Amino acid sequence: MMAASAACSMSKVPAMTASRLPTTRLLLSASLALVLAIPPAAAQDGSGSGAGTPAGVAQPGAASPDSAPTNSESQAGTQAPEQPEGEMDSPAQTATEGEASSAESATDEPAGSSPAASASTVDQSAGEGTDAAQDSSPAVQAVSEPQPQRDVGADWPHWGGGPDAQRYSPLDGITRDNVGELTKAWEYRTGDMPTEETEGKYSPEGTALKVGHSLYLCSAMNILVALDAETGVELWRYDPKVSPDAIPYGATCRGVTYFENPEAEEGEACAARIIEGTLDARLIAVDAKTGEPCEDFGENGAVDLWNGIGERVPGWYSVTAPPALVRGILVTGAQVKDGQAEDAPSGVIRGYDAVTGQLAWAWDLGNPDLTGAPPEGETYTRGTPNMWTTATGDEELGLVYLPMGNSSVDYWGGGRSEAENDYSTSLVAIDVTTGEPAWHFQTVRYDVWDYDLGSQVTLIDFPDPKGEGTVPALILPSKQGDIYILNRETGEPLFPVEEIRAPIGGVEPQNLARTQPTSTYHTLRKDRLTAKDMWGVTPLDQLFCRIQFQRANYDGIFTPPSADKPWIQYPGYNGGSDWGSIAVDPERGLIIANYNDVPNFNQLIPREKADEMGLKPINEKAPESESGENAAEGAGDPQAGAPYAIDVNAGWRVPFTGIPCKQPPLGGIRAIDLATGETVWDQPIGTARRNGPFGIPSFLPKRIGTPNNGGSVVTKGGIVFIAAATDNLIRALDIETGEELWSDVLPAGGQANPTVYEENGREYLLIQAGGHHFMETPIGDWYIAYALPEVEGEAGNP
Amino acid sequence: MSETRSVGTPRDGAFFWTMLVALLALAFGLPILGGGVYLIWLGGSWYYAIAGFGLVATAIALFAQSMSAFWLYLLTYIGTVIWAFWEVGFDWWAQVPRLVAPTVLFIFILTTLPALARSGR
Repeated sequence: MMAASAACSMSKVPAMTASRLPTTRLLLSASLALVLAIPPAAAQDGSGSGAGTPAGVAQPGAASPDSAPTNSESQAGTQAPEQPEGEMDSPAQTATEGEASSAESATDEPAGSSPAASASTVDQSAGEGTDAAQDSSPAVQAVSEPQPQRDVGADWPHWGGGPDAQRYSPLDGITRDNVGELTKAWEYRTGDMPTEETEGKYSPEGTALKVGHSLYLCSAMNILVALDAETGVELWRYDPKVSPDAIPYGATCRGVTYFENPEAEEGEACAARIIEGTLDARLIAVDAKTGEPCEDFGENGAVDLWNGIGERVPGWYSVTAPPALVRGILVTGAQVKDGQAEDAPSGVIRGYDAVTGQLAWAWDLGNPDLTGAPPEGETYTRGTPNMWTTATGDEELGLVYLPMGNSSVDYWGGGRSEAENDYSTSLVAIDVTTGEPAWHFQTVRYDVWDYDLGSQVTLIDFPDPKGEGTVPALILPSKQGDIYILNRETGEPLFPVEEIRAPIGGVEPQNLARTQPTSTYHTLRKDRLTAKDMWGVTPLDQLFCRIQFQRANYDGIFTPPSADKPWIQYPGYNGGSDWGSIAVDPERGLIIANYNDVPNFNQLIPREKADEMGLKPINEKAPESESGENAAEGAGDPQAGAPYAIDVNAGWRVPFTGIPCKQPPLGGIRAIDLATGETVWDQPIGTARRNGPFGIPSFLPKRIGTPNNGGSVVTKGGIVFIAAATDNLIRALDIETGEELWSDVLPAGGQANPTVYEENGREYLLIQAGGHHFMETPIGDWYIAYALPEVEGEAGNP
Repeated sequence: MSETRSVGTPRDGAFFWTMLVALLALAFGLPILGGGVYLIWLGGSWYYAIAGFGLVATAIALFAQSMSAFWLYLLTYIGTVIWAFWEVGFDWWAQVPRLVAPTVLFIFILTTLPALARSGR
């Protein structure tokens, strides 16, 4: 799941001027104070301070796989404002600004810590000490007080709905009783369709925001559009002119970010702005009212994210997710096209001032000392784990939660550093006021299965399993299917994490983790595959699959990659849960999770054979070879630098017929009791209407369970809205029972998260029908809005 | 006399239809038998080799316009149904590869019955 851009030139950002309000000067002097205070802070044991408190949770990588038969050890960590002790000046900074600290319940952390955690602790303090010496502390600081956030309701102000990313709408105009009457209110077409050059490469995956009376969205090639929320009429558009060769794995823009500058004057340009990350790795900000680029942001509205990354290779480093916005800082990672080479762009995570576009901080896990831009001629550490999905901001705690992937060579880890093994496939919490990790939680050790965390985490006040009250927590879904509930201040799991034995074998048995964590709260994962699960249309192709099954290496989940024989990876790299994420109804106490139930059939290719086959990484390919349909991710990926390339048969498809070897259902949707993790209902999602052998639609309306990508929205009215499956339907389910109450046929694939909003008294459901090359659904450029029919003479009444 | 074929079998539509069904049975039967033997060698299910054998035998009997084709295939088909339910029970999607094509073939063979009956063999 991966010609320098036309517009972008330099990466220099304008020097900060003093043209803003006095708070800025205060911030500046406070930052200076902070810089001066760092050496004394480093002398401490590192368990607190403005540099952030690391709390390593779960053993780092393969380094100490056997050390904890139980679960992840954790050291409670918090970020600066809560640190009661110490003469750190970061509290001084926050004290000057006003006390955010009182708001946050400071969980205190003992200075002593478990061995695993102290390993990361040591890293941090070493970093701090040399910080001031090595590079200048960034001139920009996050606001230390939580900013007022727009909430979900009439609006849908964030990609995940509210600031908590619950994908929940408090609207209840549409209910079980009337949802059957939903009709199309309007439709809009962005006009961004593939050309001959980009045929087979589109996967828009877009979700629109709604703020005020407007909708804001981005198209597959990053064209920004604003629509009237009631009529769907286009208000403005802005085309950043992204070159087609910037497409990595697919042309995707999952959404945009809406930012209101609290210090802007009324009517000032870009007081409210729309920000997106582009395929050619720029951060672009335009005025929300006019679509004009924001002059004061970066260079005429654009910040070049290639800065510090290294050689510009279009299509290798792209942003496909909306940046998170926390305390006035935009946080973004990027998608590094999978499987190309060890020497690939860095997975560095960076925070930028949302007003000026200046770099506030950088988190390079391979080089924790580097907190700003790298020195001339150097880059951030290449090939490290990246974050391609959407992060979640925690405005109150000042943290941002980053679901990380694994290193650039996915299926062989012999070249990874200890830091990579520590952080790969982990959820990392970064303190946006400092740019330092606060804690991290690893879900796969020594990940050689491309099990990167693809789901955005959801924030929730979770009923404390130990007693009364609630705990500020987050829900972390994963591709292996495990769903974790973590305390989001400390990273500690609220339910025990069990260790399961991992099979050992393959090409690097000595490196593999002996055990892997699994969540006792809930997993979407099903039982391991058996020969009986093989499928087909006739006994003949079923026999073919059974022969493949017998011949392959398979010992359940985490079967190690092998070169001598193919191996079965189940769940495959599409989950479990993927970028669609989960939705939660906090009032009914239900999590809704749609998931894939599909194996991949893989094999490592030794380097000599890969060379014979001509597998070359993206920076060595001739440009002509880029045109034409993009292969599925992993199919013949070179993994240059590693002794093996990789071939992934995604979905384990039989050649010639295209039928998957595993029997249906290949995807499902499930309701989970929030407090206990028990399954409430579970059923396949997706009908067979579009699928059949040789790609011929069977028109069978029967629910079969298809692969799905995209998530759901749940509403107070008791409805689950979801498209996602490969049958091109948008549907409404009863959240209590899963019963399908309504559906409609979309003109293209519905692989996107819906939006629910209210305008002029009417509740709308908005879904992109954009299609998806990997999911093999028809491509389109529609956004389609549904609503209950207007009552005559009463339009506009709430 | 030692003819291997009844005198006077008309080479009409029914005859050629039977040949076609025979070819179909052979086209499925040979690879299922061959692959099925390989599967046994790999440690997998015995069903396919046995069913493939039944299909090939049916095909041969059909080529010979013999009524035994019906009985051979009936045996194969019943065995298939028992095996299919033993493997996956009432999971209808899982039953598609196990039962649909064999049932279709059964119907085809039923349509050859008139030709098989008149051949007297």
